[in-house]
Formats: sequence, C-alpha cells, structure tokens
Amino acid sequence: MIKMNMQLLISAIVLGLSMSGVYFLLTVGLSLCYGLMRIISLDQFFYYALGAYMVYTITSLTGSFWLGMIGAMLAVLVVAFVVERLINKRVYSKPVMFSMILTFGVNLMGVGLIKYVWGLTPKPVASPIAGRVMILGTGVPTYRIFVIALAIVVYFAVQYFLNKTILGTAIRAGIDDAEKVKALGINISRLFTVTFILSSVLSALAGVIHAPFVMVSPEMGMTITAFAFMVVIIGGLGSIKGTMVSALIVGQVVSLGALIWAPLAEMAPFLVMIIILLIKPTGLYGSKLMHR
Amino acid sequence: MKRFLNSWTGIIIAFALLYSLKGVLPAAFLTEVVIFSIYAMGCSFLIGRLGLTSFGQPAFLAFGAYGAGVYLYYFGHNSYVAILVGVLVSLVINMLVGLFMVRLNSSYFTLCNQAFCVVTFFLFQKALVKWTFGDNGLLLISRMDPTPFIDLTTTKGIYLFAFLVAIAVWFFYQYLMKKSVFGATCLCVKDNEQKLRFLGYKTFNIKWFAFVIANTTAGLAGAIYTIYFCMVNANIASVNTASEAVAISMLGGAGTLFGPLVGSFLFIGLKDIASQFISHWEVLVGLLLIIVMLAGEKGIVGSLEGYIEKLREKRSLSKPALTKEGGL
Repeated sequence: MIKMNMQLLISAIVLGLSMSGVYFLLTVGLSLCYGLMRIISLDQFFYYALGAYMVYTITSLTGSFWLGMIGAMLAVLVVAFVVERLINKRVYSKPVMFSMILTFGVNLMGVGLIKYVWGLTPKPVASPIAGRVMILGTGVPTYRIFVIALAIVVYFAVQYFLNKTILGTAIRAGIDDAEKVKALGINISRLFTVTFILSSVLSALAGVIHAPFVMVSPEMGMTITAFAFMVVIIGGLGSIKGTMVSALIVGQVVSLGALIWAPLAEMAPFLVMIIILLIKPTGLYGSKLMHR
Repeated sequence: MKRFLNSWTGIIIAFALLYSLKGVLPAAFLTEVVIFSIYAMGCSFLIGRLGLTSFGQPAFLAFGAYGAGVYLYYFGHNSYVAILVGVLVSLVINMLVGLFMVRLNSSYFTLCNQAFCVVTFFLFQKALVKWTFGDNGLLLISRMDPTPFIDLTTTKGIYLFAFLVAIAVWFFYQYLMKKSVFGATCLCVKDNEQKLRFLGYKTFNIKWFAFVIANTTAGLAGAIYTIYFCMVNANIASVNTASEAVAISMLGGAGTLFGPLVGSFLFIGLKDIASQFISHWEVLVGLLLIIVMLAGEKGIVGSLEGYIEKLREKRSLSKPALTKEGGL
C-alpha cells in the first residue's frame, strides 16, 4: 500500500482476471451439476488435476500444448462418463450430503491414483504462448490475455448452449422441474450424463489452462478447493451468471489482496464471502434454486 | 435407582467391552478410536439430529487442539488446564462462528463449513506462522508436567483418561438425545423447521445452541489429541480429513448413540490394516467413503436398531392384544 505504482497494479489486475477465468471454468461445472442434479460434485477437482497432468504428459511427449489440451479434455470425458455411470448416478435422488461425501471419495481416490502414476514431485508445464503485450505501459504476458479471452468465449458458449439449443433448453427445464421434464418423455438420465460430462470437461480445461501458471502437483485440486467454493457460494449455487460475477470478484480480491499482505490472498475472499452471505444468505444470484 | 441403572448400563458395557480389548488390540489404536469417536459424536449429532452436515469439522478440532497447544507452549505446564483452555477457546469460537453459519440453509452450510476449514488451515499454517510454527507445529513433550490423579504424560494415563472423558460425553449425549426437550426440538428442526417456527420456537437459537455443543465436543477431542500426541501442527485442520468425521458418522449411523463408536472402530481399523498393504492411503479412504455412501443411509447401528425394533414389534404382536383389524 505504501508505494503501489501503476505497473504493479495493472499486472495484478490482469493476473486477477486470468485467475477469474480459471475459477470460472472450474466452478461453472459445480454450479451446473448443482442446478440440474442437485449434487455438489467435488470430483470436479480431480478432473481439474487430471486435466493438468494429461496436458503435462502429452506436452512433454509430443511438444504441442494444444494437442495436450484436446487430449486432456478427451481423457477426462471418458473418465467422467465412467464415474457418472458407475457411481454418481446412484446418489442423485438422495440428500446433497451423500453426493458430497461420495464425490469427495472419488476425488481422494483420484489424488491417490495420480500420486501412484505420476509421483509426488511437482511437474512444470511451459507456457504455450510466449511474449508480452503492452497495456498502458505495462508488459503483460500474452498467455494471461489468452486465458481471459478463453474464459469469455466459454461463458458465451455455455450461455448459447443453454439458451439456444434444444439440449440446453431441456437442461434448463430440468433445472426448473426435473419431474415435469421426465413426464414430457425426455430421457433425464441422459441429460444428467451430458451435463456431468460437460462440467467435467470444463473443469479439465481449467486445469489445462492453469497448468502453466503453477506447478502441476497431486494436491493442486485440494489447494484450489477453497477458492472454488467461495466463488460458488458468493455467486449462488446453480447460476452461471452469478458464477461469472463472483469469479471476477474473487480473482481481483485474491490478486489485489496478495499485493497488500501475502496471507490476505487466502483470507480476503473468505471475508468477502461472509459479508455477502450476511447480506444475502443465498449468494448474489442464487435465490430461485435454493429450495430443498 | 434401578431405572437409572437400566438407562445407563448400555454405555458402561460398551466402553468396558472396548476397554477390555486392551489385551487383544494395541492400546494406541484403542485410544485413537475413543478420541475419534468423541470427535465424530458431535458431527453425528449435527447430521442425525439437526440435519446439518458439517464438512468443516477439522477446523473445530483444530481450535481445541491449538487452544491446548498454545497454552502449554506459552503459558503453563498443566495438561488438565490445557484441555480446559482448549475447550473454552473452541466454545468461544464456535459461539461466534455459529452466529454466522447457522443462518445458512443446508447446502450452503456444508460448503461454508468446508471453506471455513480451509481458511482455518491457512490461518494456522501461514497467517499465524510466527506463533504456531506452521507445518512443524508446537512440540510440547518437554512442556508437560506429570498431573495428579491420572498422569496424562504416560500412554497408560491418557488411555484411561480418554475412556473416562468418552463415557462422560456419552452420558451427556444420551441425556441430550433421549431425555431432554432440547433434543426433541432438534429433531423437529430436522423434520420441519417451518412448522416449529410457526409454533413459536426460535429455531435459530436451537440450531445455534446445537452447533455450539456439537463443535465444542470436537474441540474437546482436539484438546485431548494434543495431549495424546504431545504436539499440534497445522495438518490437524487439513481439508483432506474433512470427510472422515462425516463418513464415520454415516458408517455407524448418524444420530444414534453408539454409531460414532462403531464407525470409528471400523473406519480406523480398516485404515490401519490396509495402510500396511497400500502405501497411498487416499485410494483406500476414497474407496471406503464410496462404499459407505452407496451402502445406505442408516449405517450399522441404525440398521441394527431398526432390526431390534422389528423384533420387539413381533414379540408384542404375538401376545394376545387388540390390533387395529381385530377391533373391527
């Protein structure tokens, strides 16, 4: 706070925005799963870590980050499909707590498997886009801009998918009233699978684009858990728009908070969350969906 | 007097049985089971009797543990006082945190608790690192004086002490769940909160009070843990263990009196046995959680209670008595 110059501020804001991008991609899955299936899917953090590890493996094998990105998403698609069909679908009709512990179990198992396959040492992933862009006289890595752009594209793509396509409309209808959708003859169990896979692939994408920022380590899913929760809680469970807004808030709070006092990066979002929940106990945009 | 004995014998028998296993099973394992079951008791009460699932139990465990640890490291040498300080610290913190947490409905309560757990971990690991020494923790072995009555510095002493505390906790919870009006209102909150509010009860107060009681029990377990291990570090609040208390409650049967005991015994036993064969404990615990969750809602003790209830009904039916159909 003593000598906060312009360059530091701008780079912190851009860093915060790119973190927002990662948080958004990770939590949009959580939010969608809660909205439709009424589960809190903690195994999203496993897909996030798995995505990061797949991109590390494929990048170090082939040298192409983009190939790794596609490979990671495909791999997670398969894993998510198996997990959903084998395990997760069994708890959709039970209280939220069941899904939470169950998916936490899947997550723990995943962390154990990752440790088994890739070992404990953190792995580096090189940034695929080198170079810097000048913003108001401050050099900002181009990759961060790319992450922000990607998150924006995904946001609009998800909105388009939910609002303009038949499948998306069915999912939205399912969010409103799953029973009625079933009565209309729509295969709701298939909708659940599609939503779960979509969420997981987006989580994997979050892991992929986050990998060059941090070292890829088995515990990375656990480290980001708190921030993801805060984003979900502040935005309101089940709301895409709320998730986006709160991802923006949390990203800025984290990066600007770290600028003031390093431990504030972890504490400040929690304080923001408490304040927002005291004013509005269902989060910013989560009013309608909080029955049950 | 006879009635009094009847209602309490179950607890005495259960713990005497467990205590007598000392010759067969290692004492360290039994001590851990007992301390963990105290810890899980609060969680089980919250789930089974109040319908609130707390994923942040390690945080409340940690406040008790650090209360005791900090007292021993910086102020005094008496383990009894340390446990008392731990319980008081966790009581005060639970009263404050409860004011905020209890307002939330169940999904948010669960998520907020877990977020709170992560923040507590950061608090002890990073923000207060000057005083708590983060991951290295507070080493207390040279700071603890032998205590009168039961010497808590010896393994034998702590073993006995943990059992005595557990029996006291069980008496308390038996009274709370089976005898008191408060326990009944807690169940009402779980079943139909709105109706209770309509009847003129302040559900916020009920939930807050239950939250404080349950999590102070966790704090007590944390304080005993500190004395037992002679140290406390930030890992006690680690989010990795967040689901263990919940899983144990579910395994034993949430809201039942002996559920946490049976659950801890099985869970810790399985974990100990299997960790000798598999080096990555996460896989195993994860698998265990999945199995427990898919197996059912009632848990072991819950299912047993249902079975006993059925037997009783059968017996009473076999006696000549007026039944509904017979009345016509």
